[in-house]
Amino acid sequence: MEAVRTLVVPASRPGMRRVAKDFDAFGTARALPPEVVRAVQVALDEMLSNIVRHGHGERGEGHQIEVSFRLDEGVLEVTIEDDAPPFDPLAASPPDTTGDLASRPEGGLGILLTRKLMDEVEYERAGDRNRVVLRKRTGS
Amino acid sequence: MSEAGGEVAVVAPRGRIDTNTSGELERTLFGHLGAGETRMLVDLSGVEYISSAGLRVLLKAEKAVHQKGGRLVLCSLGQPVREVFDLSGLSSVFAIEDTRERARERFAEGK
Repeated sequence: MEAVRTLVVPASRPGMRRVAKDFDAFGTARALPPEVVRAVQVALDEMLSNIVRHGHGERGEGHQIEVSFRLDEGVLEVTIEDDAPPFDPLAASPPDTTGDLASRPEGGLGILLTRKLMDEVEYERAGDRNRVVLRKRTGS
Repeated sequence: MSEAGGEVAVVAPRGRIDTNTSGELERTLFGHLGAGETRMLVDLSGVEYISSAGLRVLLKAEKAVHQKGGRLVLCSLGQPVREVFDLSGLSSVFAIEDTRERARERFAEGK
């Protein structure tokens, strides 16, 4: 069984679906706890939709996202790389989740959720690529 | 995705509510609203997980329903879905009940 799984998909919604399907298969093959798989699927949806929305527009237009899953000593590490202009999703200010409904912003929740669902979230600009690393303890 | 439920529209999405599927939920909810149905019960028992794309749709629907003087009640959230509502601070924004029966009472009581 491979310890690392890497795939390259178009920066588009169909590409996002392929990543979700692939991570389901990875989770099943590695017998990851369902709650870990669900948390990572939400974080993947947040991070990938950010790239598709802000990076290249809805169509992707030839751009690709590279995603890899690695399980090592009870820690699942997901690395997401894209060649969009520099964009640090973690630099976005957290949304106000204490105000009343009328004053509550509808965006920005994705980053908040990702930070809370994952144990670690990192961003770096690596050469001409954005790299986001998510880490989640699998409890095993 | 929907069923006839008297004067309360019941919407019961299934599976995952994420970037790829939230549009379908939005069309369903706003379809009811467009048909003049402003009392909506959203049963989330069949939902495996929800991302912020789904939360945004529910927030948008809640606002629209509220503006029309209606009511939107969520019910039967599984633990993973409940966790996302809690983590995002949205549990206090929505009317949430444990069961569909309790949610229906909410409409009957008019509170």
